Amino acid sequence: MEIKIPNEVMELIGKRGIKEADVKDVIETAESSNKKIVMGNRNIAKKLIGQATVYVDYELEKGLVRKHATVKSAYSHRLMLGDIVNATDKSDWVCAHCNEPAMYGHVAMTYMQVTRNGPAVVCPKCRDSWVEEYLATKTLAAVEGLFEKKRA
Amino acid sequence: MGYEELFPGMDMKWHANANKRFASPFVDVAHDRIDVDPIILSHAAVACGFTIRDFYEKPELGIHCVGYISQLYDLLPVTHWFYSLPWVRELGLTLQYKDTLPPISTGPIISEPGQVDNIHVPDVDELMKGYTLPEFIRIYEYVQKNLPMTLVPISYGFDLVGAAAELCGVENFIMWTFTEPEAAHKLVKKYTDTSVNGAIGLANRFGMAMLIVGSVLANNDIFSDEAVKEYSANYMKYYVDKAFRGGAGPQLFYHLCGNHQTDYKVFKDTLFWSPFNVIHIGYYGRDPFPSKLLKEEFGNRSTIMGSVDTKLMINPNPKIAYEQAKAQILAGRDSPKGYILGTSCETPPYTIPGNLLALVKAARDYGTYGTW
Ligand SMILES: [Zn+2]
Repeated sequence: MEIKIPNEVMELIGKRGIKEADVKDVIETAESSNKKIVMGNRNIAKKLIGQATVYVDYELEKGLVRKHATVKSAYSHRLMLGDIVNATDKSDWVCAHCNEPAMYGHVAMTYMQVTRNGPAVVCPKCRDSWVEEYLATKTLAAVEGLFEKKRA
Repeated sequence: MGYEELFPGMDMKWHANANKRFASPFVDVAHDRIDVDPIILSHAAVACGFTIRDFYEKPELGIHCVGYISQLYDLLPVTHWFYSLPWVRELGLTLQYKDTLPPISTGPIISEPGQVDNIHVPDVDELMKGYTLPEFIRIYEYVQKNLPMTLVPISYGFDLVGAAAELCGVENFIMWTFTEPEAAHKLVKKYTDTSVNGAIGLANRFGMAMLIVGSVLANNDIFSDEAVKEYSANYMKYYVDKAFRGGAGPQLFYHLCGNHQTDYKVFKDTLFWSPFNVIHIGYYGRDPFPSKLLKEEFGNRSTIMGSVDTKLMINPNPKIAYEQAKAQILAGRDSPKGYILGTSCETPPYTIPGNLLALVKAARDYGTYGTW
């Protein structure tokens, strides 16, 4: 597996406190377990690293000898994802592990011992779930801040 | 002279306690008691000696009255100000201020379904040059300066169906849902997209924007359950999803005003739920929506807000208000993600203070965490 991280992506993930080694770890784990969501040649994979769930959004192309992954973005959240609450609408994502369409829905999210519900892409078959970038970097980042402030 | 000179400063000891109480249902930290939120709007102005018209015509005065009077009744430590027709002036309507009512539309309405196509959805920059967004920004800048401890910038999407219906006249709209459903949908979508852009504009300015969105005209007195889902719940979801994508949220308040006797069932698996979420339902037929049912249906999804009938708030009998508040608190207080006691809708402008005290007294008597 050859992993390419363009400079502007390097800069963005640096600002988000994500290390290059984490990005490679997420992709390699996903490629060996096939646990990820896929849309065309686009992939989103995640891995719990320390206290955070780190996501990598990457494109995959088959080379002559081995696959090439180009990282589009990486992001993380500290809320822990739990059980699926519901799955309401079909998404354009496919759960690679189950080869089934992934759905938009909600999952239990736990942070600082508080559990509430939040939106996610879910696979009703293997019950795994993924948070898209806009939710992780905006909504859930604000939620984590509010929990920290209000639990203090 | 600014309106801030009319009010003594905030009692910070009161505020600190009310703030902990306010946080409690959202983060599972039990404080002293269940919160009471009677959705005070122009009553705050009346209680400070101003008029209903003053509340709407002078938003900074209105919101300061809300912040100030919340101390008297020991309510939420946050300020809000709104009326039921945001974003319609940007879509062509004129609003007229009234002495005893929130501003009402004086038209002009569109009367042909084909005219819906001509309605232009303003983008964020265009909304900045309009009415609603500059007004919301102005009041929250005022709050930031004068009552910063109460600041929660709120973008009011409000009643997506009701406000859209104002654009063609409510009767026309109801008829269109039967005869011209495509035009009715397009109209709600255009209003909703405008409202989304407003939320994003407010979030751009303040780094966040709590969303309040409701289903008011779309209720069981007028619509079937299917129509409530199709015209209201689906667009509420679309509104929140799109506003979140633009950086609004994460706080979310769903206000289901009016009679939701059977249509309440369409919301649970249609709406978009945030970790900071409140859902409130006004009526079940002619009765306030039972907190027991609210808890059973939504308790695992969200913090819930129960209702005391707003009619009781102007009935000179605090005992009746107290008994209804007590019954609702007993039925809802152990809801797994927290309970707040409210009124079915905005508490009336001439709410009797003794009745508001009755709600707070019931919360003090029966809403003490950990004693049930
Ligand atoms: Zn799966």
